[in-house]
Amino acid sequence: MEERTYTALLVDDHPLISAAYQSAFHHIEKEHQDIFFEILTANTCDSAIAIIDEYAHANRLIDIVFLDMRLPPSKDGKFLSGEDIGLRINKFFPDARQVVCTTFNDNYRVHSILKNLDPDGFLIKNDITPVELVTTIKEVLTQPPYYSKTVIKLLRKQISNDLILDDIDRKILYELSLGTKLKDITEIPLSTAGIIKRKRHLKQIFNIKSADDRELVIIAREKGFI
Amino acid sequence: MKSIPSIKIACCVLCIVYISANSITEKNTDNTTWIVQDSIALWLQAARDKSYNQVQQKAFLHKAHTFLQSKTNDASKAKALSTIAYRYYQLKDTTSFQNINKKTLILATQLKDSFIIADAHWSYADYYLNGELYEQAYEHFTIAYNHFNGIQKEYETARMLYAMGFIKGRYRDYNGSEVLFFKAIEKFKKLNNNKYLYDSYNQLGLLQNDIQEYDRALFYHQKALEYLEKVANKKNNYAISLNNIGITYMKKGEYRKAIDYFNKGLVNNIEVENYARLIENRAYSRLMLGDTLHIKKDMLRALYIRDSINNRAAVMKSKIRLGEYYTFIKDTTTAFRYAQEANTLALRIKNGRDYLESLDLMAKLDPGNAQHYLRRHIQYNDSLITVERKVQNKFTRIAFETDEYIAETKRLSEQRIWLIITGFGALLILSLLYFLRIQRTKTEKLLLETEQQKANEQVYLLTIQQQTVLEEEKIKERNRISEELHDGILSRLFGTRVGLGFLEVKGDTAAREQQQSFLTELQEIEKDIRDVSHQLHSTFENVEVNFTNIVEQLLQDKSDQGGFAFQFEVDKNIAWKQISEIIKVNVYRIVQEALQNIVKHAAAKQVSVSFSLNNAILVCIIEDDGKGFIMTKRSSGIGIKNIRSRVKKMKGTLRFSPETGSGTSIHIHIPISNS
Repeated sequence: MEERTYTALLVDDHPLISAAYQSAFHHIEKEHQDIFFEILTANTCDSAIAIIDEYAHANRLIDIVFLDMRLPPSKDGKFLSGEDIGLRINKFFPDARQVVCTTFNDNYRVHSILKNLDPDGFLIKNDITPVELVTTIKEVLTQPPYYSKTVIKLLRKQISNDLILDDIDRKILYELSLGTKLKDITEIPLSTAGIIKRKRHLKQIFNIKSADDRELVIIAREKGFI
Repeated sequence: MKSIPSIKIACCVLCIVYISANSITEKNTDNTTWIVQDSIALWLQAARDKSYNQVQQKAFLHKAHTFLQSKTNDASKAKALSTIAYRYYQLKDTTSFQNINKKTLILATQLKDSFIIADAHWSYADYYLNGELYEQAYEHFTIAYNHFNGIQKEYETARMLYAMGFIKGRYRDYNGSEVLFFKAIEKFKKLNNNKYLYDSYNQLGLLQNDIQEYDRALFYHQKALEYLEKVANKKNNYAISLNNIGITYMKKGEYRKAIDYFNKGLVNNIEVENYARLIENRAYSRLMLGDTLHIKKDMLRALYIRDSINNRAAVMKSKIRLGEYYTFIKDTTTAFRYAQEANTLALRIKNGRDYLESLDLMAKLDPGNAQHYLRRHIQYNDSLITVERKVQNKFTRIAFETDEYIAETKRLSEQRIWLIITGFGALLILSLLYFLRIQRTKTEKLLLETEQQKANEQVYLLTIQQQTVLEEEKIKERNRISEELHDGILSRLFGTRVGLGFLEVKGDTAAREQQQSFLTELQEIEKDIRDVSHQLHSTFENVEVNFTNIVEQLLQDKSDQGGFAFQFEVDKNIAWKQISEIIKVNVYRIVQEALQNIVKHAAAKQVSVSFSLNNAILVCIIEDDGKGFIMTKRSSGIGIKNIRSRVKKMKGTLRFSPETGSGTSIHIHIPISNS
């Protein structure tokens, strides 16, 4: 690890958690005399964007980011979650090391985050112990990526079957798992008839005979798609 | 004297016994009804058979009549009765005739059989004619005529006209009589009946004699003779006609011509009566010519013949002629005696014309009392004319009344026809109304049923909607709790734990280890909370409430009410969404009804409901371990009936397996279409 001062941005709506991250950074500072962290915290989308914009404007770099996925949306409604923040960081600070730290542990969300943000670190909050947190920071700064054990487990599960599902398929399964009514699925750019067709196709893939959606969701979850 | 009737009775009894014995043996051998019919005909035939004496013939008639009484009242019976009555008349049993003819008339009137009615009247007319009761006879002839005429029986109608004409002639209604004979002749000509044409012309000839139209009388008699030529058995009639022609000439004063005709008539083998007529008329003609040779002998011979055959009218005539003869030969005493005898006889047999003639003769022979006889003559003549007028009037009245009767009958029958038409019309309208009413009731019932079905479906849909809302709210609430746990509590706990982990705890190794174990424990708690949150959130719930949910809900409710435990099994392969709402509503109702029965009557501890699919047939089994079906049959009648009607509506089958004391199971099979 290079001995210098790193700029760290901690985005989490719970100050307690930000404090815990800070503790971890302080712990490393204590271990390594020449390493320092400049720590910035934001607990809303708006404050996070303000910091990002300010640093980008001043041509200053952000080295590491701890990003929670679930955040209160920005006031202008452009940023709805941590994912949107992450995209912005990717845009302005492509070299910044991002650590997604979330309570999500369902396959669909994990998959979509991995696909959209491709973070350097992916932590499921429950996995984290103080030791692991410290390890994560070090690993991410020296040889990324670092995924916590639950994420690795999910990834393993997914690659163990040969089923090929595209994003829309996943999205449909996800919505079904939430119990969304067919006619209320608006985020998918397909007609209701199209969705029904895909659903029938999914049932064929999963070899499900029942007319019910319940079984489809259960099987899809077992296979790690949601 | 007394022994004769008793012998007759004995004969009768013997006959009857013989016939009954006969009929009994016949009955045993062959078809009974045929024998009955046939035996009546046989008896009637026997009653006409001249080889039996009159007593035997009457016995046959009696038997026939007795047998007839057991038969149903139809036309054949009436006809047979009429025949029996007429035969009784011919056999001069007037009491039986009157009795049976009356029955005939009543039955025929009931049956509205015009021919038999007319026939019975004819019998009456013959009977009265024979008793010289001309007025009654005329009345019956008139009625018979009207009936025969009404049913176009030409021969019988002509016979009636002939008889009526004959009676009218008797009462010096020559005009009326002539007209009737003309009418009769017209019909007989059409029928080619020479016998009656002869009779009719003969009668016309006689009529003309009475009104001194002798030439016309001769013409008619000649005409009569022409027709007589075409008749087979003409000997007696020939004599009569020649006699009648002779009489005409006699009256005309052409006595020689008269004598010629009388002589022509006097051929061999003529009836004594005619012989008497001819010789007497010939004698009288000769007398008129002043020739007295053999006259007395002929006249006395005629009288003797007439007396021997008891022809009183002819006897009277003979006596008057003898009176005239004795007057001619100036034997006034003998002449007066004959005249007086004739007068007495005429009075007894009520022969008006001869009575007057005898009075004339007596006045001539007894000049001292001439005044007296002439007065009696005038008096009697007047009364005779009055009586004849009266009778003539009566005939007119009879004709009028009969016409009126016919008109009335016609009016009544027309009225009856109208009544029938009206009645029929009313009946038609009523039945139409009734039909319409039934139709309307049916339609109403159908509408009601449809409405009920709609209502049922609506109830079902409402139940589903309500259930859906409930479920949605439940899920929302669950999600809210899940999120709260996940995002709020879990995050804070995480922050606290990590923060705590970085805290430098001052103390010995044991204290540090204890801190570490607390941290691990915290992490476990976090994990548990997250799992709970996860379960809350991600437990898949199909928000669209389906059929099974509401059935399960129903079972839940009923099990609370009835205090029983329940099992609910549903085959996963049933695609409920593809089953029509109507079937689902009905199945729901059936389950409801069955559960209601279980709650009310069965006192069950365990109830199970299951749905399965078997080759496109939905199988629903509802079982309980209660008291059984038979025990509760009476009280649950309506419920069972409802279930039956619903299953029937869905074209399904229903089977109860009631075992007293060991519960009830209801198996329902409903075909579901794939559409």
